[in-house]
Amino acid sequence: MSSTARALLAVLLATASLASAKDTVRIAFIGPLTGGVSANGLGGRNSAELAVKLRNADAKAKYSYELMALDDECKPNVGVQVATKAAADKNVIAAVAHYCSTVAMGTVDVYHRFGLPVVIWGAVLPDITYANDFKEIHRVNGTMINQNETAAKFMVAQKYKRWAIIHDTTDYGKGHNRYFSEYLQKNGGQILGTFGVTADQQDFSAELTRIKELKPEVIYFGGITPLGVRIRSQMDKFGVKAVFQGTSGIISDAFVEGLGPLAEGVVAFREGAPAEKLPGGKYFIEQYAKAAYSDPPEAYGPFAFAAANLVMDAVEKVGPDRKKVRNELNRTHDYDSVVGKISFDDHRQNAVPLITKFVVQGGKWLVWEDSEYASGKRPLVR
Amino acid sequence: MGAPDRATIFPALAAILAGAGATLALLLAETQWHVAVVALAGVAALLIGGRAGFGDAIHRSVASHHRVTSATSWLAGAVVVFLLREHNFELLMLCTVMLYVLAGLGLTVQFGFAGVVNFAAAAFMGVGAYTAAVLMTSTGLPHLVVVLAAGVVTALIGSVLLLPLLRTRGHYAALITIAFGILFRTFLEVNDTLGGPQGLKVPGLQIFGYAFNEAIEFDDETEWSFYTAYAGVFLVVLGLAYTLVRRVERSWMGLALDAVRLDETAASAFGLNGAAWKIAAFSFGNFLAGIAGALYAILTAFIAPASFTFGDSLLLLSIVILGGLGNPLGLLPAALVVVVLPEKLQVIQEYRFLLFAALVILILLLRPGGLMPRRAREYFPGRSS
Repeated sequence: MSSTARALLAVLLATASLASAKDTVRIAFIGPLTGGVSANGLGGRNSAELAVKLRNADAKAKYSYELMALDDECKPNVGVQVATKAAADKNVIAAVAHYCSTVAMGTVDVYHRFGLPVVIWGAVLPDITYANDFKEIHRVNGTMINQNETAAKFMVAQKYKRWAIIHDTTDYGKGHNRYFSEYLQKNGGQILGTFGVTADQQDFSAELTRIKELKPEVIYFGGITPLGVRIRSQMDKFGVKAVFQGTSGIISDAFVEGLGPLAEGVVAFREGAPAEKLPGGKYFIEQYAKAAYSDPPEAYGPFAFAAANLVMDAVEKVGPDRKKVRNELNRTHDYDSVVGKISFDDHRQNAVPLITKFVVQGGKWLVWEDSEYASGKRPLVR
Repeated sequence: MGAPDRATIFPALAAILAGAGATLALLLAETQWHVAVVALAGVAALLIGGRAGFGDAIHRSVASHHRVTSATSWLAGAVVVFLLREHNFELLMLCTVMLYVLAGLGLTVQFGFAGVVNFAAAAFMGVGAYTAAVLMTSTGLPHLVVVLAAGVVTALIGSVLLLPLLRTRGHYAALITIAFGILFRTFLEVNDTLGGPQGLKVPGLQIFGYAFNEAIEFDDETEWSFYTAYAGVFLVVLGLAYTLVRRVERSWMGLALDAVRLDETAASAFGLNGAAWKIAAFSFGNFLAGIAGALYAILTAFIAPASFTFGDSLLLLSIVILGGLGNPLGLLPAALVVVVLPEKLQVIQEYRFLLFAALVILILLLRPGGLMPRRAREYFPGRSS
């Protein structure tokens, strides 16, 4: 080999090693990848993975990132297992974790014990951030507190006064009932009756007969789609004329398809906004489409994306050190993300959560402001 | 001593060593290739070993050197725990495996010995877990007493099922236990004092003033995982329970249970009270499941109804069947497969249960009697009869 060739080779090798000289930083993603709510988990996983891919493609990034995706099955015992796995692995600097609240409740102690900074991307139970004071736990999405505050204020502003509440007896339904009742009473609404039903109950004649006697203007429903479909259709059979107000759990295509014309005029509220309405939504949708995932990002995908970016930005700034990353995350203020500005309060809960109002119009969930109900063309009560 | 047909001790020692080695290898395997190699090697070893008659050699050797082999097993368990002392996650998995084996022992007594089906093993673990959680948070009872009490309470609550269970057979009895499992979960979900669907926090174990939740520090350099202490305690509990179950199996009680399972009418013709034996087996099994549940609650520090579902009961049952129905020793490899393998397959994410299920079906296809089928009873252990 001639000396020039050798020199050339040396230069080539040097540049090649320079290009790959970035240290690899490992980040964990935890969510339900199998089981009943796996669609949300996969959407979140894909979104976080997308954030990592985009960052790795960015030549300016100081580190290259590796996402370690773990499945918590939406079960607390499995959650504790995988949380321990991530937290005990010294190469994992931070985690983007949990869609299921009950899992997050079980794992926060693990993260705290091992000092792993975590950003929650989907679990909505307020207690996850507010029932402890762990510096490791952050959350970018809003809680059901925010959702129901907006819901109560909005509905009272629509001049409704009397409510009947039906909720399922899971943590989801009970939590919604609790916070909605609290904010409704604060805002001057009246609750005529509250009915807890099990999540797989089929027949609601007892509850609806009683509700018919109470003559509420609005029926607030805290629960998810299948139950909501059954209650709304049986309301019609019993001739209960009231606005059907739901929670984030019924905002799905299945709800509208299951009810057909009966779904018209149903209102519901959700943390976040449809991706296209988000500040960085267009960018997110474009990138997600480009990556050609087989599953959609679902409602909380953008939050997982934002959480992953938040974590990576912290690592870029202070280096791959858990304590420093934790302190950096604690300080997050007015951080620009695809879900809008992120600022953490004293419990590291995003203080500016976005709540969107939805209404079914013509067989589709529309954002309230875009609907004919908002412009007054259609009235809510038939 | 010195009987001419005493077998040598080496096959038994080799088997214990191989078992401990395989456990360590599976727990420490990180990439999917390591996991696949370890899993396949384990299955191959069992298949080839079974064909070549190693099983019989090991069995004879264990039977001839009972004391030495059981002492070596304890030692091997302790060595495995010691080697993993700094690996938090692997220790947690090992602890989980030990507790599933403990619950599986209870199920073996019920299903394998007495023939009483129980499709609610996880629910009974749940009873123990919740009992422990409530007793630890609201009373000042010593924690060892709490764990025992959890076992007793579980056996008592299980006795609610005795009457319907004794009056039914086969599928009908299975349905009763399934109903109990569902009832248990629904009860927890609507019960706010027990945390509802959101679950309960459980404090860490304290025995004689020693707090288990603190890492064991020797100096600045060396620090053992706090799970090491848990694993040690679980090893002792599991060892005692295993010995107890083995002794029961070999004794006249085991003989009576076998007789009741195989033919209740014939057994009663010989003066055995079938109902009494079933009650005893069912309650003792639930006692063990309750203790396993209590320890599991303490280990994971958080319990919720979602951790004790019908699916988890099936998982426990599949451990018992995969191991070889009625053989307590088979529980260990089976629990390793059922608990650790899905965890090790995390790298393939959403497809892991697909692969895991295929593997379990494959094992049962190749070994229909389970990994280690129960052997015919030997009335004079150690002699090739």
